[in-house]
Amino acid sequence: MYRKIYESHQTLSTTSIQKISDNAVIPFDPANTDYQEYLEWVVEGNTPEEAE
Amino acid sequence: MASINLQGDTSGSISISAPSVAGSNTLTLPATTQTLATQNALGIRNLIINGDMQIAQRGTSFTVTGGDTAYRTVDRWKHVLGAGNWVVSQDTDVPTGQGFAKSLKLDVTSAVTSPASGLFTALQYSFEGQHLQHLKKGTSNAESVTLSFWVKATKTGTYIVELDDDDNGRNINKSYTVDASDTWEYKTITFAGDTTGTLNNDNGLSLRIFMYLVMGTDYTSGTLQTSWGTTVNADRAVGQVNTADSASNNFWITGVQLEVGDTATPFEHRPYDMELSRCWRYFYSGYAAGEYPGQAGASISFQQGSQSTGSWCGIVVAPFPTQMRATPTMTAYSPNSGASGKWYSNNTGTDQTANASGTTNGFKVSCQGNSPTPPNGMQVNFTANAEL
Repeated sequence: MYRKIYESHQTLSTTSIQKISDNAVIPFDPANTDYQEYLEWVVEGNTPEEAE
Repeated sequence: MASINLQGDTSGSISISAPSVAGSNTLTLPATTQTLATQNALGIRNLIINGDMQIAQRGTSFTVTGGDTAYRTVDRWKHVLGAGNWVVSQDTDVPTGQGFAKSLKLDVTSAVTSPASGLFTALQYSFEGQHLQHLKKGTSNAESVTLSFWVKATKTGTYIVELDDDDNGRNINKSYTVDASDTWEYKTITFAGDTTGTLNNDNGLSLRIFMYLVMGTDYTSGTLQTSWGTTVNADRAVGQVNTADSASNNFWITGVQLEVGDTATPFEHRPYDMELSRCWRYFYSGYAAGEYPGQAGASISFQQGSQSTGSWCGIVVAPFPTQMRATPTMTAYSPNSGASGKWYSNNTGTDQTANASGTTNGFKVSCQGNSPTPPNGMQVNFTANAEL
């Protein structure tokens, strides 16, 4: 499970995603293996929670 | 001293001399045309980082219940444990007289007596493609490589090692034999060069070593593919014993070296600081030496004093000591409680939500962007993960 993170609350631009189980912040970098796992999770039909 | 003189083509000569020795000693030369200096003499010939298992930034012991796939203890070595209960640890049981201080130990605590057909259980080491261009894979000049290591296993018999070309879906598999139970043994395996399929010259995953432990029939029902070819799952681990068939079984490994050529050379012992800095490209722990991520009561690695008011509050910014492989996954930790996703306010005595982010060259930990309450005394530890 993942949750959106807004890097700037002024622009509300999402530049990373948080893995809820360990609070790891995953960047949107195609070379990051955690991001690759997140994309696979999305392809499976899942959607991240909105930011708190 | 006896010597042999070789006359140069046009002038000069080379003398090969032997000192006075007792008995007969052997100097093994490459079986193929090589330049002796580049194969056997120069440094950084071991392509593997942390082959002697001396670096463990994440922790020294981890209990696996019902399987786990992750980097948990020694750096750069990922365990892919599809089933069973294990304790994975950095251990001090090492082969005598070889100069090693640490090994990686897998202790089976709940046996896998009936492996599922799809079970995949191995140690995995991964390479960036840009670190392997000198293998000239995919060309007519492709280099062979030799893997050497020390292994000690309770379970004797046949074990399989695979080189897996992730860029091209190709692999090659070789076997080795553990002859005696619970005894350190030295193994060498040479893999031929592959003239098909170049490795990408970038920071992505290109090549993996799989050292198998117990595999399901999906991976063992064919014929072991001992030459490079398109990966066929059934041909990957044929003959592999079940390392985990008893809760009394253990498996240790250290001194892993992969080098260009068809001859294994003595393990290249590199200094601790050199090996640690190379590990930092893939995982960087902001914790003090001997402390580990999530540890409560840990030393405070980073602290920010009074913070400004407004839309941003406390921010800790620092460079990484080396450029990371990719933009890292960042996890902040409260030094006080060890809670993840938190920093600790020594003003209020409470954990606060942290927002950690980074680039390949540095990081920032700040208050959550949507909760800009200005606190004082921001204390935080963190990890940055850019592993393959």
